Amino acid sequence: MSESFLVIDDSKLLHQMYRLIFSQGDLAGSTIHYATNGREGYGLLAAHPDLTLVFLDLNMPEMNGLEVLARARAERLHSHVPIVLVTTESSEDDEARGLAVGAWDYLRKPFQPADIQRLVRRARELRRGRGAA
Amino acid sequence: MAIDGRAAVEPLLGFVDALPAAAAGASGPAPTLHLLTFALDREEFGIPITQVREVIRVNGITRVPQVPAHVRGVTNLRGRILAVVELRTRLGLVEGPVTAASRIVVVELRGRTLGLLVDRVSQVTKVPVDSVAPPPEEVVTAETDFLTGVARWDSRLIMLLDLDKVLLLNA
Amino acid sequence: MKAGENPFGDLLQDYIVESLPLAEQVGDAFVELERRWRAGDPGDQVLASVTGSLHTIKGNSAMMGLTPMRDVAHALEDLCGYLARAGASRGDEAAALLVTGGGLLVDLIGSASADTEPGAADQFMARVLGFLGVAPEASAAGPDRRQAERRTQPRAGDTEAASVVRVDFRRLDAMLEVLGEGIIQHSALAELYRRLLRRVGACEELGELDQTVLSLQKTLSRLESTLMETRLLPVSTVFGRFPRMVRDVAHAEGKRVRLEVTGGDTSLDKAVLDRLGEPLLHLLSNAVAHGLELPGDRVRAGKPAEGLLRLQAAAVSGRVAIRVSDDGRGLDQTAIRAKAEALGVDTRAADTAQLHQLVFVAGLSTADRVTTLAGRGMGLDVAANVIHALGGTIEVESRPGQGSAFTLSLPVTLAIVRSLIVEVDRERYAVPLSHVAETVRAEPETIRQINNQGVTQWRGDLIHVADAGAVLGTGKPCEAPRPFYVVMTAGARRRGLLVDRLIGHQDIVVKGLDPALGRPAVVSGTTILGDGRVACILDVVRILEGAAHGN
Repeated sequence: MSESFLVIDDSKLLHQMYRLIFSQGDLAGSTIHYATNGREGYGLLAAHPDLTLVFLDLNMPEMNGLEVLARARAERLHSHVPIVLVTTESSEDDEARGLAVGAWDYLRKPFQPADIQRLVRRARELRRGRGAA
Repeated sequence: MAIDGRAAVEPLLGFVDALPAAAAGASGPAPTLHLLTFALDREEFGIPITQVREVIRVNGITRVPQVPAHVRGVTNLRGRILAVVELRTRLGLVEGPVTAASRIVVVELRGRTLGLLVDRVSQVTKVPVDSVAPPPEEVVTAETDFLTGVARWDSRLIMLLDLDKVLLLNA
Repeated sequence: MKAGENPFGDLLQDYIVESLPLAEQVGDAFVELERRWRAGDPGDQVLASVTGSLHTIKGNSAMMGLTPMRDVAHALEDLCGYLARAGASRGDEAAALLVTGGGLLVDLIGSASADTEPGAADQFMARVLGFLGVAPEASAAGPDRRQAERRTQPRAGDTEAASVVRVDFRRLDAMLEVLGEGIIQHSALAELYRRLLRRVGACEELGELDQTVLSLQKTLSRLESTLMETRLLPVSTVFGRFPRMVRDVAHAEGKRVRLEVTGGDTSLDKAVLDRLGEPLLHLLSNAVAHGLELPGDRVRAGKPAEGLLRLQAAAVSGRVAIRVSDDGRGLDQTAIRAKAEALGVDTRAADTAQLHQLVFVAGLSTADRVTTLAGRGMGLDVAANVIHALGGTIEVESRPGQGSAFTLSLPVTLAIVRSLIVEVDRERYAVPLSHVAETVRAEPETIRQINNQGVTQWRGDLIHVADAGAVLGTGKPCEAPRPFYVVMTAGARRRGLLVDRLIGHQDIVVKGLDPALGRPAVVSGTTILGDGRVACILDVVRILEGAAHGN
């Protein structure tokens, strides 16, 4: 079964960018689910327990990234799925708060395809480590 | 007044056949001009073949109201609208009727495409560059202004038109 | 900064599609905010409504490597953050800064390319820093961002972004040209069929040919409508710059104005849109400068201090109606009358509607005071000419003390025009049907000669009837009286044109005039008819205008 990812971002442009990145190299062929707001994202997260990695934008209408994160962690929703909080410059406070409520890592815009590839590699290692344990 | 024949021909050199560098030496053939020649009234005119796109039959010229006197009208060139210049009136000759021999010479100049209405088209003529002389001074008509030179060749007198001047329509 | 260096450079169009509406929303909100502040309303919700959009623009621009846009969005975000705090100085300076920044952001994104000059953005950032420096608490703590992250506005462009392709508009013009040739060839084929039918009579093969010609026509018209749709753009692409301009005129005039824009998603052919901006801008500035009263005068007249300016667009039975209306003082009939009389126009018998029409007459449209924008632009007569040249009409209604409204009616597309083909001295001409009121058989006894001009009774009015040969300068003496006249209209002007034959209605493809032809006043373009011959398209507006001036 191919790997699957979840992108929660209200910008369609960002969806296009993820689509571009996930069409290259060994990421090609993976399944990506897209949500355009926090509420929708939370629903998709709940429906897909086997995600390799979730990219969660901080700034969104209808539940922002921090709210999604806090609720998912509070409800112990698929706590094995790593969630990356995607931020923009001058959001340092939010990055710290995100890590505090259970973000696996944060990714600051502007990011490069290599940043995504690096995060995916780390997430796979995490998965393998858990599988072996 | 002494006129250097070579200087008069200078503007035409651009239209001389592009000769291979090796042939351009003293032993090579004399450079020639490729001209499309046509008749207006009883005179023969020539323009460099490089400026000619095609020659078409006259198939209906539509008059356009309120245009400059030397514009005959417009015609359909395969779906494009082509403005047709009445070359006779432009050169100060009397306006003539359109006959079966009449043709429209389609020229391309500085990115613009225009039609020239002429009485009759002869074939393409090769003229040695050294047969070209400046326009004779004794011929003082409106048309001299539009000539770059006169070619005397093969017992013909071909007047070389300066299309830039002829078609500078608003000048 | 080069596009090639950014991994997402190919998504530039997607960036514009998503970010431009957001930026426009932000820009409009700032104009609104300034208005509210002047009215003493803190406008907190307005301020909160933009921060989400700004944040998205900042993120998008950063991802695209478009630094100037990112910087401006960031500076505006900081500025809003500061202004959202209690005790911030929400004065004219802050408002001007927001409005400038909003406009700059729209401009930058609208013309986004990888090598956008950072100059204007840098200047703006310096101004913001200067402003925030005057208010040092700004840098002490960031704004409350979570409040900012709520956004309720639906976002334009969301659904389209994925399938948008960028096409140079010249290519669409070229496609239209090719389609035009197809339409001409179809007419030629139909003509050939009719001639064949006359020569050999009906037979099975000809019946099939007829069917094929018919279905070819259907295919072509489907192609035409698809292509025309591709050429359509929402009027908001032109409306976008108006809020700022209206604000600028209002500032210069000391007026308080609320601009209400509706119907921005109404579509028009780009060729029409491109020429619409100037006349609309003129109508709007005119309304602000001359229609709306100063706040004090308004209050004395029992109106709200703030004037209401409306710009409305809507599709109405195959055309687009655009209306510019204000709740100002209305047209000054006394002034119009005085000016008209000064120009030698007898207005004694004119009713109100006729008097109002005079504002479109050259020399009468200019207002007494020349203001920055209204003065720089065209006169109302020129604006009306542009509208007429687009095949449109413009009408005005006005009530003293209650305001004026200008209503434009425009064709959705330009390039293919349904026309009446007529024959005059053996040449054919096309008259756009939008300017044809009626075709009438000219009974000689119904046309009287008054002062060497033909005059006839038409629908209860007296109208002039001119000989087409004379108007078009065919140079041929009129031997027999021409049997028909076409009643042409443009705005309030009407005139009959005597012609030899009425050929019929036809969709024609408008082709331009070669510069070699100069600028003939009675012809607006050319077209190719079914038989391959070229026909001139009559410029009815200018013919009627020339007739009015010439006589």
